[in-house]
Amino acid sequence: MFRYESLEDCPLDEDEDAFQGLGEEDEEIDQFNDDTFGSGAVDDDWQEAHERLAELEEKLPAAVNEQTGNGERDEMDLLGDHEENLAERLSKMVIENELEDPAIMRAVQTRPVLQSQPGSLNSSIWDGSEVLRRIRGPLLAQEMPTVSVLEYALPQRPPQGPEDDRDLSERALPRRSTSPIIGSPPVRAVPIGTPPKQMAVPSFNQQILCPKPVHVRPPMPPRYPAPYGERMSPNQLCNVPNSSLLGHPFPPSVPPVLTPLQRAQLLGGAQLQPGRMSPSQFARVPGFVGSPLAAMNPKLLQGRVGQMLPPAPGFRAFFSAPPPATPPPPQQHPPGPGPLMQNLRSQAPVFRADTTHLHPQHRRLLHQRQQQNRNQHRNLNGAGDRGSHRSSHQDHLRKDPYANLMLQREKDWVSKIQMMQLQSTDPYLDDFYYQNYFEKLEKLSAAEELQGDGPKKERTKLITPQVAKLEHAYKPVQFEGSLGKLTVSSVNNPRKMIDAVVTSRSEDDETKEKQVRDKRRKTLVIIEKTYSLLLDVEDYERRYLLSLEEERPALMDERKHKICSMYDNLRGKLPGQERPSDDHFVQIMCIRKGKRMVARILPFLSTEQAADILMTTARNLPFLIKKDAQDEVLPCLLSPFSLLLYHLPSVTVTSLLQQLMNLPQSAAAPAPSNPHLTTVLQNKFGLSLLLVVLSRGEDLQSSDPATESTENNQWMQVMFMATRELLRIPQAALAKPISIPTNLVSLFSRYVDRQKLNLLETKLQLVQGIR
Amino acid sequence: MNYMPGTASLIEDIDKKHLVLLRDGRTLIGFLRSIDQFANLELHQTVERIHVGKKSGDTPRGIFVVRGENVVLLGEIDLEKESDTPLQQVSIKEILEQRVEQQTKLENEKLKVQALKDQGLSIPRADTLFFFFFFFNIFY
Repeated sequence: MFRYESLEDCPLDEDEDAFQGLGEEDEEIDQFNDDTFGSGAVDDDWQEAHERLAELEEKLPAAVNEQTGNGERDEMDLLGDHEENLAERLSKMVIENELEDPAIMRAVQTRPVLQSQPGSLNSSIWDGSEVLRRIRGPLLAQEMPTVSVLEYALPQRPPQGPEDDRDLSERALPRRSTSPIIGSPPVRAVPIGTPPKQMAVPSFNQQILCPKPVHVRPPMPPRYPAPYGERMSPNQLCNVPNSSLLGHPFPPSVPPVLTPLQRAQLLGGAQLQPGRMSPSQFARVPGFVGSPLAAMNPKLLQGRVGQMLPPAPGFRAFFSAPPPATPPPPQQHPPGPGPLMQNLRSQAPVFRADTTHLHPQHRRLLHQRQQQNRNQHRNLNGAGDRGSHRSSHQDHLRKDPYANLMLQREKDWVSKIQMMQLQSTDPYLDDFYYQNYFEKLEKLSAAEELQGDGPKKERTKLITPQVAKLEHAYKPVQFEGSLGKLTVSSVNNPRKMIDAVVTSRSEDDETKEKQVRDKRRKTLVIIEKTYSLLLDVEDYERRYLLSLEEERPALMDERKHKICSMYDNLRGKLPGQERPSDDHFVQIMCIRKGKRMVARILPFLSTEQAADILMTTARNLPFLIKKDAQDEVLPCLLSPFSLLLYHLPSVTVTSLLQQLMNLPQSAAAPAPSNPHLTTVLQNKFGLSLLLVVLSRGEDLQSSDPATESTENNQWMQVMFMATRELLRIPQAALAKPISIPTNLVSLFSRYVDRQKLNLLETKLQLVQGIR
Repeated sequence: MNYMPGTASLIEDIDKKHLVLLRDGRTLIGFLRSIDQFANLELHQTVERIHVGKKSGDTPRGIFVVRGENVVLLGEIDLEKESDTPLQQVSIKEILEQRVEQQTKLENEKLKVQALKDQGLSIPRADTLFFFFFFFNIFY
């Protein structure tokens, strides 16, 4: 029926810190069950545990009465020594906590009410010390190993014959370690690997004593649970003589586990009692969060035992305590009997403490969630619009009888896996777009905040744990006892399956088309390589900030080197040669990606290099424009070019203008038509570039009026020719420029008379731009 | 509860009505009841919706468990807007007939195009034109 016949058999399914847990592969552990994530520690089923215990109580009294007589007499002598110890502990367990324990108080309170309910379990085993004393008998007798909780208190496991094992299997699952540090959830008789499932409804009418639902913590600093090997098995823990765990044999996190039989009974019983929770009980919960209980009630009434009380109220109760940096053991207990709410609240810190083993950031996230819940509830209880919207959603859930099939626990389990998947050593590498997107959003919201002091929108951020990088040296699999080494092919060590030989093609075979295609492919490859360089260069800033002082010069050198390679790639690396042909560059510029890449590279290049690029572009602009007809990506180059222009001297600007307009070198009679210029003017980018160049020239001129330099002369000559050309061009053909610089009117006014100026203005729509 | 803000997590979609598109082209509509880390889905009160042209027909399917890798996309259905669909609901029988019709039509088209190709004429259809351009672009 189940796998673990005894305590010794059950593997240590301790709650492991997720990161460490992954390393342990050799146990039969499903690493993704709630043990791994420690949701077991965030344990919310003390209620159901108590329920179960109450169920046990039905059996126990019979057994107890039976056995007390027999056992006691026989075994008393044997257990002389142990008895004392045990008695001590049991008394400790009961007496000192009675008044402090909210569960007891609650139990005490609610008992009279529930006596009246038919069919319910009226009293818990754990009610008061008398019951325990009753049970002490069988304990001492050591023939009642069935009550697993009590078993825990035993210093030694009782010797068990084979028939005992069988009995055991019928009565209770062996107790697993319930150390608060380790904090594993109870074992159920389901195979490892099934996701956690909420057990029977913890109902309030079951009073199960939890003598001290305090998170028992010996004075130890909160730490992640010890790695697997270091932890003691439950068995060992039981055997440790003065273990503090034994001192408090009923740590809250782990209820005793039920056999499938008992569970079935419980469920079966529960299903017959749909309305178990009496309204009076709810009445006793004055200030408690109204809605979850309200949500609970109808569900209960529907008789769905298995899901209710989803850890919802319990869960929320967990986190209603403010998160301490190190969760302290709960210090405040209600001094006396208090309302249920108080009790639950005071239990909250208990369970809050359970989350120590979680990654601190995850805990923060959970706390965030809890805060939002509180906000939710406040809204619900209040009358906000949000509240009403949410309540309609709650309505849906309420009316939907199949809702919450997936328990809160399971949701957390999945979300924990997802969180684990988000762990990363280098988020910028692994999750670049996400990081960038959120940075942008943050900048936006920061900017907005600065603008207006509006309400700060709390956008919840996902905090992903940062994991230290672990170097995994790959070791190939080695089999023992084999002569020599076997090569096993795996993901990390792939085996060569095909002998692919690279054959270089001979030149004569190729046809013209192939050559063209090859050339294109080569260009594409060059673009890709250059792009990688570009991405690296762009990343240097970030790396610079993250690096140490010593590393920085090296980084700078690397960066420079890469920039040079990029430039060489762009222009066609032929060292020692004057760069005679623009061909290489033009090829790159014919490809859309190439153009974008050049736009991105320009800021990194030196002024001369960038000017060179600009000149080449201007020279070949008509061709590029033709090739860009489909992509229309050239405009992206405008802004880097404009920026560049502001650094260029007058000479360069002049020659640039010449190139751009394809003006003849001398002021001789102009050619009848200037197709170059026409093309340029008809293209958005071309025209914009032209205007920017003119503007820059004008700036230079106006800033330097006095000098009669050759440069100025040259400029003026070129301007005359330019204006002449511009006047000739029919207006209809002109493109719409991206931006029109403002100083063009003054520019042209120098060189043409009023009439022509007006003409130019209208043609180029200069005035309109100003208007 | 705001699970994992800024990520695509299905946890907040649980118990809501969803439309799921599968890799084999089926459209399922149902309440998402549970998920797991592989985005395997469990759909409740599922209905498979077949649509042909402007008409659509629903087949009730009950509970579906879908393996995560077979999901193309899924989205929440707004229960209030659900009835605003432009599709006309018809009976299942009719929609199946319509679908068969559509399949045969497509097949005929394919045969026609094939025949034309064989004869040397390739007339790109309006919807395939895009792909021609796209293909063209790769080399230029």
